[in-house]
Amino acid sequence: MINQPQSDDSDGGLLAQVAGGAETAMNHCINKYGPLVWSIVRKYVRNPSSAEDVVQETFTDLWKSAKRYNSTIGTETTFVGLLARRRAIDFTRKANRQPHLEPMPESDTLELASTEPSALACCEREDVKAALKELPEETRTIFSLHFDEGMTHPEIVEKTGLPLGTVKTRLRRGLIELRNSLRRLDDAQPQDTTSS
Amino acid sequence: MTNQELMNRFEELEAGRIFGDLEADEIREWEELSKDPRCQGDPSLELLATALDIDFDEECDEELPASLRKALEEGMKPFVVAEATDDKVIRPSIWKKIFSDTETAWAVAAVCLLLLVAQMFVDESPEKRFAGSPEALVAQADDVIQSKFGGTEAFGQMSGEVVWSDELQEGYMTLTNLPANDPTLKQYQLWIVDPDRDEKPVDGGVFDIPADSGTAIIPIRNPLVVRNPQAFVITLEQPGGVVVSKQEVVVALATAS
Repeated sequence: MINQPQSDDSDGGLLAQVAGGAETAMNHCINKYGPLVWSIVRKYVRNPSSAEDVVQETFTDLWKSAKRYNSTIGTETTFVGLLARRRAIDFTRKANRQPHLEPMPESDTLELASTEPSALACCEREDVKAALKELPEETRTIFSLHFDEGMTHPEIVEKTGLPLGTVKTRLRRGLIELRNSLRRLDDAQPQDTTSS
Repeated sequence: MTNQELMNRFEELEAGRIFGDLEADEIREWEELSKDPRCQGDPSLELLATALDIDFDEECDEELPASLRKALEEGMKPFVVAEATDDKVIRPSIWKKIFSDTETAWAVAAVCLLLLVAQMFVDESPEKRFAGSPEALVAQADDVIQSKFGGTEAFGQMSGEVVWSDELQEGYMTLTNLPANDPTLKQYQLWIVDPDRDEKPVDGGVFDIPADSGTAIIPIRNPLVVRNPQAFVITLEQPGGVVVSKQEVVVALATAS
């Protein structure tokens, strides 16, 4: 006889059902998030065959890690997108023969969650758009080339004529500045004690 | 370098990690700084980068290729918890409850950008294959650990074995004469002791033993990656299991040989 162990995570909607091994939920998950994962991966992995492999790896990750999704942290979409993005970036790094980087220790992340719950609060789409406008024009252009068109750093260099180091710096510091802007925005908003 | 300068440098390296553009020397620097208690990992940057990826995406309605769709459906099968089809397969009642749930409305709202901070949670999973049974695991994996369970005094009549593969991150317990539990009162929970990972045991899943079960095969469900398990411990816990066991009722123990 085979007894299936149970998940004790019941807060995650669809992903909670996936964590429980529900076939219907897994199929629904493929329907719902497949196009998103495919789209993110295709941005970074140009070879269609390789992209399909990365999508499969992403969903395998999802089946195994769905239990770890925490609905108080972010949306299921963001969680799934994060898995896809990590896999895609990892693939491109390996393809470029860059050294492997170990993932951030999980215990640190868990600890952070309990000690700094307000590191970044709710960000509506409009908030992100507004914060993006605060970035320098050059950085916005590089962001668009990277996130919208999925350009690699060398491609951005070729497109913009900027040195590689500048592209890297603009992306890195732009992301940090954008996050900081969103935090400031959140701090400036009155606290809402009602759930939306 | 002041504390602020140190944290700023780590944050810039962390952003580079998220963009996947760290040079070898930067990776070494990141690894060094990440050990510094002043440099806590902050998932907000990666969440934001993901949100930007989603937000900028204008083609997320593109259908999956049929071949990929089929491959995904095939790939999920090893993770599906099968319906009870005969007297050898037991489906815990919780699955029925889960199946009866409707999707919550907020999941639809997931298409919006919501960034919250916190933990998240994802191990780089090393799995590439899935054996599906203890026998297949032993046959397929080159690094299988096999250990005998010994029951504690109150559970001295039980016997069992655990098989585990670090490579596949897959394992099974085969348990005989473990007393049936009432899931509304107590449930069994497996713990994996992996000192290389954490001093606290890793949750290996909650499970039930029905009456007259004879020998039960329990798949191990570890949400976290286990690298070097030294022992497997079964405890009896409150329904649903616990995050950290007080080990008030230790049922059985298997040490890795």
